[in-house]
Amino acid sequence: MSAENTGAALPTPRAHLTSERTRAALLVQNRFLAGARDFLTGEGFTELLPPTIGPVTDPGARGAKQVDIDYYGHRYKLMTSGILYKQASLLSFPKIFHVAPNVRLEPLETAVTHRHLTEFHQLDVEIAGGSREEAMRVAEELTRHCVEHVLSTAQRELEILGRDVDGLKRVLDAPYGRMKHAQAVAQLAGGGYGQDENTEIEWEGEEIISKAAEHPFFITDYPKGSRGFYDKESAEEPGVLRNFDLIFPGGFGEMMSGSERESDYRNLMMRIRETGENPAKYEWYLTLAREGIPSSAGFGLGVERFTRFLGGLDAVWQATAYPKLPGELRP
Amino acid sequence: MSGLTAPGFPERQVRARARHGAAAAFPESEDYGTTLYGEHGEASARPEDAIDRARLVPPVFVPHRMEKMIDLGREPVCGDVDLTTTIGGFRSAFPFFVAAFGSTRVASGDLGEAVARQAGGLGIPMVIGENIVPVSGYGRMAEEKESSLLRRITEYASAAPDGFGGVVVQQSTEDADAEVWNLVYSDPSAAPLLESGRLAFELKVGQGAKPGVGGMTLVPRKRATELSSQYDVLDIYEPAEDSVLRCSSPGTFTEEILRQQIRLMRNNYPRCRVWVKLPPSRDVHLAAAVAWAAGADSVTVDGAEGGTGWAPRAFLDHVGLPLAECLQRLDAQDNSLLVSGRIWEGARAVKCLALGATAVGLGRAALVASDEDAETGLTNFVECLALEMRLLISSLGKYRVAEVGAEDIWTEARSGEAFVPRNG
Repeated sequence: MSAENTGAALPTPRAHLTSERTRAALLVQNRFLAGARDFLTGEGFTELLPPTIGPVTDPGARGAKQVDIDYYGHRYKLMTSGILYKQASLLSFPKIFHVAPNVRLEPLETAVTHRHLTEFHQLDVEIAGGSREEAMRVAEELTRHCVEHVLSTAQRELEILGRDVDGLKRVLDAPYGRMKHAQAVAQLAGGGYGQDENTEIEWEGEEIISKAAEHPFFITDYPKGSRGFYDKESAEEPGVLRNFDLIFPGGFGEMMSGSERESDYRNLMMRIRETGENPAKYEWYLTLAREGIPSSAGFGLGVERFTRFLGGLDAVWQATAYPKLPGELRP
Repeated sequence: MSGLTAPGFPERQVRARARHGAAAAFPESEDYGTTLYGEHGEASARPEDAIDRARLVPPVFVPHRMEKMIDLGREPVCGDVDLTTTIGGFRSAFPFFVAAFGSTRVASGDLGEAVARQAGGLGIPMVIGENIVPVSGYGRMAEEKESSLLRRITEYASAAPDGFGGVVVQQSTEDADAEVWNLVYSDPSAAPLLESGRLAFELKVGQGAKPGVGGMTLVPRKRATELSSQYDVLDIYEPAEDSVLRCSSPGTFTEEILRQQIRLMRNNYPRCRVWVKLPPSRDVHLAAAVAWAAGADSVTVDGAEGGTGWAPRAFLDHVGLPLAECLQRLDAQDNSLLVSGRIWEGARAVKCLALGATAVGLGRAALVASDEDAETGLTNFVECLALEMRLLISSLGKYRVAEVGAEDIWTEARSGEAFVPRNG
C-alpha cells in the first residue's frame, strides 16, 4: 500500500487547488475534453446534458454501492452511470455523447488502487444501430485524437507534470491491439497469477497486463456474470458478451468499458433476473424497451483515469479538483 | 425469556440443554444407581422422520482408532475427537452454524443479538436472514436507530476468536433493491470480517424450508402502504386487528439465472465467500449441482422439518421434501453441503454428517437456547451437542468430522446395503 495514494496523504483543499501540478493536470483534462468534443461533433454526435438522479441507475458493479436520496418520499439514485438514459436518448438522436458525473460508493479496498474515486466523470458515447466494432473504431480514433490534441496544445503542462512524452506518442504508433478475455486469463495464468475465468480481470491482474503492454489494446468477450445486464450476449457464443474494455499501457490499466447493448425486452427481463434484481424497479426503462428502443453500441471513457494517463500521474485523485477517495470525508 | 415457543420442536429438551449444558446429554443424575435405562428408556424425543429412525452403527474393527492411538501414544478417548470443520470456506470450531432465521419479528430484536454474540464467541458461522434492511433500514445515518443487521454483525465480530467463524449475509429479491450486499461490502463495520476472510453472502433461492412461497411476516397496518411498493401485502385479518400479511416473492429462477447470479456474486465480491440456500424442492439435487459448478463455496439445504418464520399451515404440513429425502437425492462429493431441519441433539447431527452433510444448521434450537438464557444459553446448548457428537463419533472409531461416512449409518431404506459380504 503506497501511503501517498491513501486518503490520509491527500493534500488539504487549498494546497491541492493552488498546486502547479493540479493546475497543469486540470488543464490537460480541459484540452482532452475540448479535443474530444471537436472529434465527436465532427463525427456527427450530439452532446446531451446527462441526468444526475433517477429511480434506477446502472446496477452496482464490483461491490460499489449506489447513493439513495429521498425524492418526494421515493427512493431515487445518484447516477453511477447514465447507460440506461443513453439507450433511451437514441429515440431522439442517433449518435450522442454525455460528459457525465457519477457517484459510486466503492468498497474501501479500492482506496489504494490508484484509480478509484467515489465521484468521477465519464465521457459517454452511444451509437444507434452501431456494432461493437464500430464502437471500438470510434473509441480508438477518439483517444488517438485526444492524445494528439493534448500533445499539440498542452506541452507546457506536460513538462510541469514531467510526462514522458514518448510514452504518449507511442499511442499513435500502431493500431490498437485485440485480446479476448480468455486470452488475458491465459496470459495471467502463464505468469502465475490466478485469474478466475468467469469474472472480470481483477485490478491487480489488469495492472500486470497493462504494464506488460507497449500499446493500447482492447480486451473483448467478457463472460456473462462479470458485467451489467445491458451488455449483449453473443448469439453465436452463449455466455460470451459482445463487449470490450480499452487498456492503456504503462500500468495505467482500463480507461473505458463498452459493448453492443441488449435492447430486446424479453432478454432484458431475463438478464435483470440474472443480476438478482426485481425487474419492477426498472419499470420506466422496460416500458421503453417493450415499446422498442434502438439497438446500439457505445462506451464510457473515464475522464479522470484518461487524464491520469495523459499527464502520467501517480494516482487518479490528482486528476480532479475535488478528489473523493472511498471512505475519506472530503469536500 | 420472552414467551417464545416452538410447537412441534423438542423445546423442553433444548431449554434444558441451554440451562445445564453437557449434563443434559444424560438422564437426570439423581436417577443414577436406581434406574435401568434401555432403548426409549427416557422417551427423550419421539422419532419423527427417517433420520430419527436411522441408527448409527459402530463397527468392531476400528483402524482409524488404531491410527489415532499410534499418534497419541495411548488409547484415544472421546475428547480426542476434533470437531473443527471447514464450513463454506470458514474455519469453524464445531460442525454447526447458526442458520438464517425467517423474516420474523422473533429474531429482529435482542434475541438476534444474543445469538450473534454467543455464535461469535463459539467460533461458529452465523447466517443473517433476508428482508431486514428493506423493512427496518440499516442505520448508518446518525439519526437512525442502528439496525438489527448492523448490531448483529458488530456483536458477532467483537466476540469471535481469531481465525474462527464468519458472518453470512442473505439478500432476497427485495433486499436487492436496498443493495444489502453492496452496503455491507463497503461498510467500515464489516471491514474486520472482510479483511480476515470471514464474510460471505448467501443467495437465497426460494424460501427456506417452505418451497414456493416467499418470506412472510405480519406488519402493522399503518406500514402497509409504504411496504406495498416492494412487497405483496395481503389484508386477511379482521379490520380491528392491527396486522397485515407481508409476503416476499420466492424469486424467479432458471438454471441460467442461478448460474449467473452466483458468477455475478463472485465477480462483484471477490473477497467474500459465496453461499447458496436452497429449499427442499424436488429438483434440489440439480440446483445444488448448478450452484457448485458455478463456484458456490457452500450450498445449504433446509429440510421441510425446519423453519423459524411465519408460514401458512398448508405449507408447514404438506409442502417440501423431508431432510432425509434431500440427503438421499444430493451428492455433495467434495463440496460443502450444509443442512438444517430440526437439529437439536448430537445423534441427528452425526446422522446428517453420515448421510453426506458437511455441517448442520441450528435454527429454532439457537433461538430457543438463547431465549432460555441470553448470556450462555446457546453456548451451553452447543457444549452439550458437542459432547454428544464427540461420544458418537468416537464410538464409530473416528476422530475427525470428515471421516464420518455412509458406512456409519443404518437406515430402513438401505437395510443390508452396508454389510460386507460374508467372505469378502
